[in-house]
Amino acid sequence: MQLTKKENKITEEQIYFGTHESGLNIYIMPKRGYKKTYAVFATKYGSVDSKFIVPGEDTVTEVPDGIAHFLEHKMFDQPDGSNVFDRFAKYGGNANAFTSFNMTAYLFSATSNVYNNLETLLNYVQSPYFTDESVQKEQGIIGQEIRMYDDNANWKVFFNFLGCLYQKNPVKLEIAGTIDSISKIDSKLLYRCYNTFYNLSNMTLFVIGDIDVEETLKVIESNILKNEPFKEEIKRIYPEEPKEIAKAYVEQKLSVAMPIFMMGFKDTDTGYNGNRLLKKNIEMSILIEMLFGRGSEVYKELYEQGLINERFDAEYNMQPDYAYTAIEGESNDPQKVYDIILKKIRSVREKGLSKDDFERIKKVVWGDYIRTHNDVEDYAHSFLSLIFMDVDYFDYYDVYKAVTFEDVAKRFDAHFDEKNAVLSVINPV
Amino acid sequence: MINTIKINSNISLHYIPMQKLKTTSLGLYIHRDLTAEEASKNGLIPYVLKRGCKLCKDSGEIARYLENLYGASMDAGVLKKGEDQILGFNFESISDKYAPQGEKLLYALTDLLLSVVFEPIVENGGFRAEFVEQEKRNVKDMIQSLVNDKRSYASWRCVEEMCKGEPMGVYKMGTVDGVDAVDEKSLYEHYKRIITSSVIDIFICGDADDAQIAEKIRSYTDKIQFSEAIYPKVDIRGQKGEIKRIRDEMDVTQGKLSIGFRTNIKATEKEYWGLMVANSIFGGGAHSKLFNNVREKLSLAYYASSQLEKFKGLMLVNSGIEFENFEKAYDETLLQLESIKKGEISEKEFQSSISAILNALESYYDNQRYMEDLYLGENILGNKYDIEYMKEQVKKVTVADVVAAANKIELDTVYFLAGKGGK
Repeated sequence: MQLTKKENKITEEQIYFGTHESGLNIYIMPKRGYKKTYAVFATKYGSVDSKFIVPGEDTVTEVPDGIAHFLEHKMFDQPDGSNVFDRFAKYGGNANAFTSFNMTAYLFSATSNVYNNLETLLNYVQSPYFTDESVQKEQGIIGQEIRMYDDNANWKVFFNFLGCLYQKNPVKLEIAGTIDSISKIDSKLLYRCYNTFYNLSNMTLFVIGDIDVEETLKVIESNILKNEPFKEEIKRIYPEEPKEIAKAYVEQKLSVAMPIFMMGFKDTDTGYNGNRLLKKNIEMSILIEMLFGRGSEVYKELYEQGLINERFDAEYNMQPDYAYTAIEGESNDPQKVYDIILKKIRSVREKGLSKDDFERIKKVVWGDYIRTHNDVEDYAHSFLSLIFMDVDYFDYYDVYKAVTFEDVAKRFDAHFDEKNAVLSVINPV
Repeated sequence: MINTIKINSNISLHYIPMQKLKTTSLGLYIHRDLTAEEASKNGLIPYVLKRGCKLCKDSGEIARYLENLYGASMDAGVLKKGEDQILGFNFESISDKYAPQGEKLLYALTDLLLSVVFEPIVENGGFRAEFVEQEKRNVKDMIQSLVNDKRSYASWRCVEEMCKGEPMGVYKMGTVDGVDAVDEKSLYEHYKRIITSSVIDIFICGDADDAQIAEKIRSYTDKIQFSEAIYPKVDIRGQKGEIKRIRDEMDVTQGKLSIGFRTNIKATEKEYWGLMVANSIFGGGAHSKLFNNVREKLSLAYYASSQLEKFKGLMLVNSGIEFENFEKAYDETLLQLESIKKGEISEKEFQSSISAILNALESYYDNQRYMEDLYLGENILGNKYDIEYMKEQVKKVTVADVVAAANKIELDTVYFLAGKGGK
């Protein structure tokens, strides 16, 4: 197969890409001088995908929550009883996997034997082997993973926050599911999900490092198993999410030293992808830094009043179908932090944003973009999650250039609506 | 690979070129003996200094200064390497090459670093009172928040109990009472003393003209009178006596088991390479005995791993388990260590461990902060090994070396964070 080459003169980066006849999307990005090669084999399938119609069928399949993550764990078992980690270990590869709301990714990093590691990655993700016995064993391990999160205040404050924002959207559910939901998983269900979402036409392979493009492609091609690509999309069924938030406030008690909070705004301008989504993301990144960054008036006021400490952060998170701003930290009075932030937003609404701030922060966002090229792992993750939203990270500069002060001002008006604000608090026991 | 320029008796500039990355990092590290008396003051100083300096008089000015450098970052805090308490200042910027208008970003960043460290705002013979008051609160919050993450809390409690009475048992940020006792004058006096009487390492990793940066450092420091200093020293010998068994109770749903061992091997001794491999076989990843037995075979835990603390010669095992599985997990952990001591090491375990270590060492070449941290550690140890030398030593390790190193490891402390009500 032939790959297409794309170059970015400013960042001096290049990428090769194409779609294999099996349906697999392939990206190869050479990084001269890097010791580490990193490969991610990912499926567009995450914790939110519990209800779907398999291409060619006409009935809806509904599976227990947490199954995408469970499946990820079980991919490491092999038909011959061997353990995948052993094979990577033989070639010095450091292997891992993760499941997010929207993606399941299998990966390795290696500084030697790159092609052997790549073969291993391709082979095991294409050879599922599930038995009811091994499923049962995994219920114990994942049970401990769920319990670990139960004690993790930062994790809980986040999911409680999502529970405030969303009435129906499954993003509010824990990625690993619950002890109860995973008890309903069996090998048959795992195969059903695997055969749907691990069809290569729903998957992407991203390889980055100091590698030879031709040679890498050869290894990939010779290790792709025969696959019949789906002719139609997997239909994912998500409940219709109302514009309104679920509830404005939630609190929970855990063993923490002082209250932890996460507040934010539900984004109701959703339902699109591609460069339009990327542009919204850049506008929001600029806004968040202008409003809540270390140089902002809000930060100064909160810090000097002793309402927040070193641990204070704000960010924007997006997917085509949902998005939100999250502001988190520790405070003895989260409600007061919330009130001051809303007050500040009201005053910006009256007085308008500062153009000087905008110009300065636009530079910050550019620096952040340049910086994302440093780490091969971070880059691969950003690139992949964007690809699944039909955003090409190589187009960043063109979209960035087009963002104006007026765009950001308009975005401010649309996003920071008090009706969409929520607050989640973890209080000490 | 690394070029060192001696600025004066105490300060050295180390330059590690790494042009393949698009950033340049800049770090300044002040080394102090970790002691109960000094820890709280040292812990506070970086946070006070980063609030303002001659160049930028408050946090807002610093933030805008950094924003104009395309969002350069500044971080200050304390590190602990064995019994060396390090006041650390980490800055990073995109490299000058990527500055859209040819700005000299690294120069501007170096100015800020040097002003923050050497030109604090002084009023009435002390630091600015409001900075100190606010940062005392901030640092106390950080000390108290340690409990929020149960995994690292349990691991620290194990070390604290294990090294009670030794400098290692002092928390890297000191104590709440220690912070309370400080005021802007006493802290400033302390600052003046340590700035002139400590070893200071400055690292640049990325793309720089180090000779020019060295000149800049000289211009900021040539009027200061330094008294010659050495790196803190550490004693790796444990205390004689019974194995300590500690149990804390807290409102949690998962128990945390943390087991502390003394390795009795210094990172400057040649046995250390065998110890590195032994630790990897024991609990250094998915190829290890702990992962495959405690997690995969017995399904007791989601995580079960061991780490070396190379400066103090400790090995720590951490896992998260059901309360009632304490005995099982503890027994299995010790059983696995025993099997290494007896030489029950498969070829696969051995080779996988060597590969994993080599892979980790090589990965340092792609990360500026890791690289700085590695060489900072080598400076403290006085080894001056480079990565290639380390790789060679690891490749030479034999199974006999691993067994010999493992047999020097002694159990010291067993810590368990349990649920409330004797669960």
